[in-house]
Amino acid sequence: MKTKEAVVFKIAWNACIKCGACVAVCPQEAGFTSEFDTIAEHAACDIACMFCETVCPVSAITHKMLAAEVE
Amino acid sequence: MPDSSSTITMPEYDLVVIGSGPAGATTARFAAANGARVLLVDKKQELGAPIQCSGAVSHNALEQAGVYPSPEFIHDAIYGFAIYNGKGEKKIIDYRKLKPDEYGTKEGTIPLGYVVDRRRFDRYLATQAERAGAEIWLKTAATGFRVMENGSCEVDLLKFNEPVTIRAKVIVGADGVQSQVGKWAGLKTHIKLSELASCLQFVVDGVETAGLLEIVTGNEWAPGGYAWVFPKGHGYAEIGLGVTRTMCTENAQEYLDRFIKQSFFKERFKNCRILEIQGGGVPLAAPLKIQYADNIVLVGDAARHVNSITGGGIHTALSSGKIAGEFLAQLILSGKPATKTNLKGYQDNWLKAMGNNMWKLYRVKRAIFDTVDVVKRDEQLYATMSGYFSTDSEYKKI
Repeated sequence: MKTKEAVVFKIAWNACIKCGACVAVCPQEAGFTSEFDTIAEHAACDIACMFCETVCPVSAITHKMLAAEVE
Repeated sequence: MPDSSSTITMPEYDLVVIGSGPAGATTARFAAANGARVLLVDKKQELGAPIQCSGAVSHNALEQAGVYPSPEFIHDAIYGFAIYNGKGEKKIIDYRKLKPDEYGTKEGTIPLGYVVDRRRFDRYLATQAERAGAEIWLKTAATGFRVMENGSCEVDLLKFNEPVTIRAKVIVGADGVQSQVGKWAGLKTHIKLSELASCLQFVVDGVETAGLLEIVTGNEWAPGGYAWVFPKGHGYAEIGLGVTRTMCTENAQEYLDRFIKQSFFKERFKNCRILEIQGGGVPLAAPLKIQYADNIVLVGDAARHVNSITGGGIHTALSSGKIAGEFLAQLILSGKPATKTNLKGYQDNWLKAMGNNMWKLYRVKRAIFDTVDVVKRDEQLYATMSGYFSTDSEYKKI
């Protein structure tokens, strides 16, 4: 599931239960977060480990490739 | 408006505690009670919400932290456990029968533990901190800090969207499983995917319970974790589970759905109606090896103070909060600077009181989940859980 290129995450807020699990496994520096205890939305993630997507109990996180977003 | 940051007198505290959950509020309370000037901040408008926890805590844990088991926050009383293997075979550990003179409902006996309402429990603990002399700011997020030349800190806060800077000697990171304060300090706080239990629970109506915490083990229902049915008071129950995602084929929601519809409890759950949905990330990880840095200490989930076998974190949070609060007040009143070297004493005290046992539990958990053979792993988890909650358990005090 690991991608090599930078990605941008999107949170399905209607499914998110604000549990913080995505942030807990996130290896990014401090501040890669949203206002609601999730990982940052609409920001480039160059680690792209996808741990956040995987751990989400309700699969509320999806991503697009950064390159696709920029186009 | 002129730039007056250097001329305005900043609010000054000995301690700023970031996050008012059980760990933060308890740290604030014991620090204030021991003479420190404490500011407790939380970004939420209502403490404890959204709930990320089943709320089970032992009577002993509350007593040790000086928390009176008040009806204000107790949903239900617990008298023991029922541990199930994947096939539905069970071991009942009912302290009402095993130790009838100590535990029960009759006069002179007490419950073994409780399921608490985390909204009211967290507010109660914050009230205790406030009554001990701590100041509390809600709707206040911490955004960053700087160490000053005199060894103190400036901490940037956002209070009702207004930037406020305060001075404090020590920052306590009690900001939970998603801790950012630890990252500020450069501590490696992120949890391995293989060590964070992905948890989901429903508060339901229409499911009978009998004063026991019911724990269902087995790879079929909850790989790398367990499923549970807890009494929630007033006829309600909690049905939930935690799974280790690296051992799963689907997310927690799918496993919970399957547990409700297909497990040996499917008849019992047939008429259950979901009233609340809650989830959380529970670190089944080792405690952080280093829980302090210059001017910073971490407590509770932020420091991974969670029991790796049960996933319980309230007792460990209360306990580390008490240790941190007492230690920090003493350090500050002694006039010593809050350097990394001086703050190490907090972790030393914690290791002695509870940390060494938590490390031991982590190793037990690792040995179980590292077992490749699923049948053996299931047997080990069932045996370990049954042993853990028995009357002669060596871990009774965690």
